[in-house]
Amino acid sequence: MYETVVGIEVHVELKSNSKVFSHSQNEYSTEPNLYVNEIDLGYPGVLPVLNKKVIEMALQASLALNCKINKVMHFDRKNYFYPDLPKGYQITEQDTPIGYDGYIDIGDKKIGIERLHIEEDTCKSIHGKRGTMLDANRAGVPLIEIVSKPDMRSPEDAVKYLTKLREILLYLGISDVKIEEGSMRCDCNVSIHKPGTPLGTKIEIKNIGSINNVGEAIKYEIKRQSEILDNGDKIEHEETRRLDDKTMTTILMRVKETGNDYRYFPEPDIPYVELSDDWINDVKANMPVFADELKEKYKNLGINDNNIKTIIGRLDLCQFLESVIDSVDPVTASNLLTGDILSYLNKNYVSINKIKLNKDNFSELVNDITGGKISSKQAKELVPYLIENGGSVKDAVDTLGLNEITDTNALNDIVKRVLDSNPESIKDYNDGKDRAIKYLMGQIMKETGGKANPAIASQILMSLIKDYKL
Amino acid sequence: MSKYLDLSIKEINELLKNKTIKPLDLVNEAFERIESSNLNAFITLNKEEALKEAKELENKEIDNILFGIPVAIKDNIVTKGLRTTAASHILDDFDPIYDAEVVRKIKDSHMIIIGKTNMDEFAMGSTGETSYFGNTLNPWDNTMVPGGSSSGSAAAVSARLVPIALGTDTGGSIRQPSSFCGTVGLKPTYGRVSRYGLIAFASSLDQIGPITRNVIDNALMLNVIAGRDDKDLTSSYEDVTDYTSLIGKDIKNLKIAVPDFYMSDAIDKEVRNKVTNIIDMLKKAGCTVHSISMKYVENAIPLYQVIALGEASSNLARYDGVKYGYVTSEYKDIEQLYKMTRYEGFGREVKRRLMIGSYILSGKNADKYYRKALIVRKKLTDEFKDVLSKYDLIIGPTNTDSAYPLGTKQDDALKSFYDDLLTIPVNMAGLPAMSLPIGFKNGMPVGMHIIGNYFKEEVIYQLASYIEKELNLNLDPRGDK
Repeated sequence: MYETVVGIEVHVELKSNSKVFSHSQNEYSTEPNLYVNEIDLGYPGVLPVLNKKVIEMALQASLALNCKINKVMHFDRKNYFYPDLPKGYQITEQDTPIGYDGYIDIGDKKIGIERLHIEEDTCKSIHGKRGTMLDANRAGVPLIEIVSKPDMRSPEDAVKYLTKLREILLYLGISDVKIEEGSMRCDCNVSIHKPGTPLGTKIEIKNIGSINNVGEAIKYEIKRQSEILDNGDKIEHEETRRLDDKTMTTILMRVKETGNDYRYFPEPDIPYVELSDDWINDVKANMPVFADELKEKYKNLGINDNNIKTIIGRLDLCQFLESVIDSVDPVTASNLLTGDILSYLNKNYVSINKIKLNKDNFSELVNDITGGKISSKQAKELVPYLIENGGSVKDAVDTLGLNEITDTNALNDIVKRVLDSNPESIKDYNDGKDRAIKYLMGQIMKETGGKANPAIASQILMSLIKDYKL
Repeated sequence: MSKYLDLSIKEINELLKNKTIKPLDLVNEAFERIESSNLNAFITLNKEEALKEAKELENKEIDNILFGIPVAIKDNIVTKGLRTTAASHILDDFDPIYDAEVVRKIKDSHMIIIGKTNMDEFAMGSTGETSYFGNTLNPWDNTMVPGGSSSGSAAAVSARLVPIALGTDTGGSIRQPSSFCGTVGLKPTYGRVSRYGLIAFASSLDQIGPITRNVIDNALMLNVIAGRDDKDLTSSYEDVTDYTSLIGKDIKNLKIAVPDFYMSDAIDKEVRNKVTNIIDMLKKAGCTVHSISMKYVENAIPLYQVIALGEASSNLARYDGVKYGYVTSEYKDIEQLYKMTRYEGFGREVKRRLMIGSYILSGKNADKYYRKALIVRKKLTDEFKDVLSKYDLIIGPTNTDSAYPLGTKQDDALKSFYDDLLTIPVNMAGLPAMSLPIGFKNGMPVGMHIIGNYFKEEVIYQLASYIEKELNLNLDPRGDK
């Protein structure tokens, strides 16, 4: 039997406001070359600036992946010619990655992180009828590259690793980590060998379109490489392959050239960056809570597993819950969020931040439910109303007329209770004193907090008082 | 023909203020002089725009001493809408979309940009002869090199075509041509002047500085261009001072070092004698002058070849025919587009240096050469720091000799680097330094080198102004006016 060895390189676009080495907006656009200045285009004479926010985001990611930090780091130039590379070099961190030697816990084991470094993205090449055109919107978009150690031994390991990595980055809020939109890109190195023998020849599979497909690609590679070895052949050269997601097979793109010479040297236009302990601690203190901690917390608060899973899977819901969790009953809140609210969000493709139900009226609603002021039946009516119209729960209740008790059975009970405790008034009534009715109505209103429908209540009162036996 | 441009900046400013002349008079005079000059000092003239600006200035208040003064800009500093070529075929139709920071500051001071000066291609050369637009002539003797790479800037100022020009200095490119042309050229401290918009040759060495006819004009110009620029991360936060503040001040307490390397047999004897005379003069004036020895300065040329050429090979990678500049006419694929564009677009000296630079950074060579060079550079820098902790200034000759005939060193790639034997160490350490005319050898100017401590340009000006006043040289190459 062969042992599989997998290492993964992930490029992640950071969602900073501006690009990493210029003040151009970091924004996706279908219109090409909209967010571009002379620096992004590599014009003669330009110099890079350095986006501090990007360093902080990369530092957050490094800390979240348990990396050691290079407290004095510099940038390097990676020199090569390619049309999508305006300066003829990419600014990256070859010598001093901001983070190194970390790990991700995937449950049953830890996967090592070799390094995490900051670099700039290239232009996007668009191949069309007029030849290849360049879109520089992407040029200079900040990336972090996360290189794992070759610690994964199966497709399952790889899928778990990527799922976990994605979740961590998502919760840091530093990237959209959408593989399908290219904000997270996975390249995967796969080799197989017999335990106790030297490692096999690495095959790289580039730009795989989803986390599950990474698993599929590795599965196929294990099969393909095993067949070669079983035939007594060798895997002679390192290759770059791609996954064809229709057939779920990998296809050769090119045999890797040996000795790729990028002529790295320290970027002379950017002075060394010192990450002081104060700065690191500051970034650490402002890091969001991670999914694992939140899961644990929600469990302890009594939220059920299904709800936890749903909420953790939707960052907006999770952040919303976090913003109210100290002032409401968490179980009721989670039920509401994962019920009608989530249905609405899903149906309308919106995030919870884009609707009129907010922290304030949501808290009011939850507290009214737990305080017994609002029934779950009323809540069902209130939720869509609040989502569409906003405002306070109190106003919504008024507008929807939910504050009147019209239920005759309920009112019957209340009226009976009032009569039972006011024999004097019944006596007065029997004596022909009209103000007794007025008084009793007042008592009914008092009992219902003013919510009893006066007409119905009065009707019931009149019919009950007539036959009331003192 | 008027002769306002023979006057000092201060005198011109007086005439402007009392309305004897208008900026337009200065601009007209500059173009008359340039158009009747045979020096090939300019690549592109900014005539139409300059005349327009001069007229516009008539309605503006004279708010600073450089108001309305014509200035020439070396053609590796980008000027929005004004062709900027770096004297290369590969950029010979390049029209920048933005202004360099120094150009922005010049425009803010209402100085008038007359044109872009000739230079060695991408500032690679020390004779002006590698320019795609032909070499510049030395105003003192048209058979002699003007020096380089700021050949046009030095020649234009020397010949009184413009009172002030900007040069750039990577290994001596302001000081050496200043020395050969008899002008005052200052390379400021690395980081004193923003490099934003300077077409990079070697990023860790390049610096923009003024070339003028006299010391005070030079200091006035540095006042305009110095200062932190957030667009250049290597520019310094160090406070800017008035660089004229020590001019004319007593020099008797200055402590001055003369490294023996700067007075060795490698330097022409007559040049050394001139410097020795100055040393005697300074001693008489009460300066302390000591001969010292420095261990690492002799490594400067190999250091330069490794660091400058390594960086250049990367800085010039962007000229690939894809985005701007020259593109070859026929190619069948991207590989050929690159190769032919660069083969046809760059001159011989540039290609030679790019090849050496690429080799130096290749594979294991990066450790063998580049990283080792950085270590030696640090040692050299520390040695300078040590000397300057004991002395205010270091002096010596700017060059090994005065200007030599055109065509002499073109085919000897190594020899031309030796012109910069004494200037390169200063770039390696990032120090400020000036070349000041101190006399003539066979009718050609000889320059003295004054090296200062970091961000202490005003002390250089202090000493230079004293020597200038004492010598009172006639530095006008036109002979009898």
